[in-house]
Amino acid sequence: MGSSAAFLRIKGLRKSYDGVDALRGIDLDLEMGDFLSLFGPNGAGKTTLIRIMATLLKPGAGTVRVMDFDMEEHPEEFRARLGVISHQSFLYNDLSARENLEFYAALYRVADPAARAEELLGLVGLSDRADSKVSGFSRGMQQRLSIARALINDPVLLLLDEPYTGLDQSASMLLSGHLRRLHDRKRTIVMVTHDLKRGLEAATKVGILSRGRLVYLKDRAELDPREFEHAYLRYLKGVPDA
Amino acid sequence: MRDALLIARKDLLAEYRKKESIVSMVFFGFLLLVMLNIAVGVGRELDGEMAAGILWVSIIFSAVLGLGRVLSKEKENRCIDALLLSPVEPEQIYAAKTMVNFIFMAVAEAVLIPAFFVLYGDRFARQVPMLVVVVLLVNIGFSTVGTLFSAITAGTRRNEVLLPLLLFPVITPLMALAVKVTGGLFEDLPYREYSSWLYVIAAFGLIFSGVGYLLFEFVIKEG
Amino acid sequence: MDNGFKDRALPVVVGLLFLSALYAIFFYAPTERVMGIVQKVFYVHLSMAFTAFLSFFIAFVSGILYLTRKDIKWDVYGSSSVEIGVVFISLTLLSGMLWARPIWNTWWTWDPRLTTALILWFIYVSYLILRTSVEQEERRAAYCAVLAIAGFVDVPIVFMSARIWRTIHPVVIRSDSIDIEPSMILTLMITLTAFLSLWFLLFKLKTSVALTCKRIRFLENKIEGGD
Repeated sequence: MGSSAAFLRIKGLRKSYDGVDALRGIDLDLEMGDFLSLFGPNGAGKTTLIRIMATLLKPGAGTVRVMDFDMEEHPEEFRARLGVISHQSFLYNDLSARENLEFYAALYRVADPAARAEELLGLVGLSDRADSKVSGFSRGMQQRLSIARALINDPVLLLLDEPYTGLDQSASMLLSGHLRRLHDRKRTIVMVTHDLKRGLEAATKVGILSRGRLVYLKDRAELDPREFEHAYLRYLKGVPDA
Repeated sequence: MRDALLIARKDLLAEYRKKESIVSMVFFGFLLLVMLNIAVGVGRELDGEMAAGILWVSIIFSAVLGLGRVLSKEKENRCIDALLLSPVEPEQIYAAKTMVNFIFMAVAEAVLIPAFFVLYGDRFARQVPMLVVVVLLVNIGFSTVGTLFSAITAGTRRNEVLLPLLLFPVITPLMALAVKVTGGLFEDLPYREYSSWLYVIAAFGLIFSGVGYLLFEFVIKEG
Repeated sequence: MDNGFKDRALPVVVGLLFLSALYAIFFYAPTERVMGIVQKVFYVHLSMAFTAFLSFFIAFVSGILYLTRKDIKWDVYGSSSVEIGVVFISLTLLSGMLWARPIWNTWWTWDPRLTTALILWFIYVSYLILRTSVEQEERRAAYCAVLAIAGFVDVPIVFMSARIWRTIHPVVIRSDSIDIEPSMILTLMITLTAFLSLWFLLFKLKTSVALTCKRIRFLENKIEGGD
């Protein structure tokens, strides 16, 4: 609709650790409702990029702007509308599924934490195990719960760092389904992944990050999957690990 | 403050479920009381300050066990990232963890101090209300600086080893003061004999709660 | 060219200052009546104590500046200061013990100044241990900055609490008067200047080596990265 102002705008973003450049100048615009899948070999700077977008890391140079949020002075307003899923579950092992969700719901100042927790438990199919400790959960169940956790504040921007790593079949399908639904509701999604099939299926934009640069960025509609696969493998330098 | 209480409640609930920190703290503290009793010679009459020294060494060594766990538990499943990603301010996390450490210490002391009187003689059990005040003031000092330092060591390769190495030099004055004042209480000295030391203990807590509040953000965040 | 000359001149200046300090200590300043020759350690002892304290103060300030500015050079300044400070505080303790043995008839006593110096030694050695335990540079810098600040804030508390133990340390310099001969004061001033110039020389060497290392690593990465 409104085409002028980008939802998320990254300009000249750089970051280095111990003098090693992880990001060497990233420029990226996303509209509201975009779903960007980012591919790239290990060490390309994907996780660094996600962590900077999530305000966990400060940029070395350049800016990240999301809507009108003031990322410098009041990052908490932005964080309140942000969701993150990584291959780490972010769950407390000694608490039950319900307690985990209620805790996070309260942190995000959700109006009725108990009701929200109940709703999400149903959504990820864990209602019957709601009061068991997370430490007794199977890997798949933990992953489903961590998806529920990330959705607790109904985020406008969802960042995913290798979310499919180690997911079992049912959890992967559940995640894909939720991503599709969020996308339908105009949520903006940035996903870093190695999984070509999952990465391409729902995306509206596809990018490749290599050695700290965004070397490839196209609309999904204009993209020929075979040509893309070619480009991707070339950047992996013939070592496909996906 | 709301967020700090929320996080502290969550930690206390997890501890209530498993009781791992408190149990190890009490067990280790009790063990130290017995070992130090043997070290000074069983059946030996101690003066107040010596007895106070034994009590405080036991408490501080046991407290450091719990201290290391409180933040390293947040590192499991990278929950600390989730806290930093939420709208909660880092200062609130600091306040929460300091409260939790304070409470763990107080609970352990509620067992260790009576155990101390049993082992070393209840003739030291004078001015007990004042002893409680002293103990709580020392706990504030210990948990404010301890929480800050545990955040440092939780980010290193050698968490549990490093924590006492960094923490003990800085809290040595606190321990010296605690021993002095507690020794005075054990000898039933009047308030004015130790009051000025008590103020320094309170000042320690006050100063380091400020230092921790200001600096915690820089050690818990990555960059 | 000009810079190179300055770099070579500084060690010469430091050397000359130390020669004058030695001359002043042994030939100019009178030998103390009661303590005799042993008293002469005082000039070196007090100068080193002062220099050590200055080092920790600089580390404290560098810590604050690192955390507010996030420029790695402040970490270099802070850590170099602490390293030099640890050397000087160790020598202060040792020289004090050498003096105390004949004068107090004991190597060690729990006097506020001695206790403070010893606890400072512990705090800043733990700082050096911390440095070896963190690999990532920025994280190490932040942790060390925090420890340098917390450690220095602790100093007045350490000193206050050390009053628990009665003092037998001579109080030479009071707020209202200095309790020694003018020629001794002059000797002390020369020795102090010598140590301050030595501090500055060591600090310059340490920081320039560390900054050069960083520069080299940065350039190496640039070459490897193909930029």
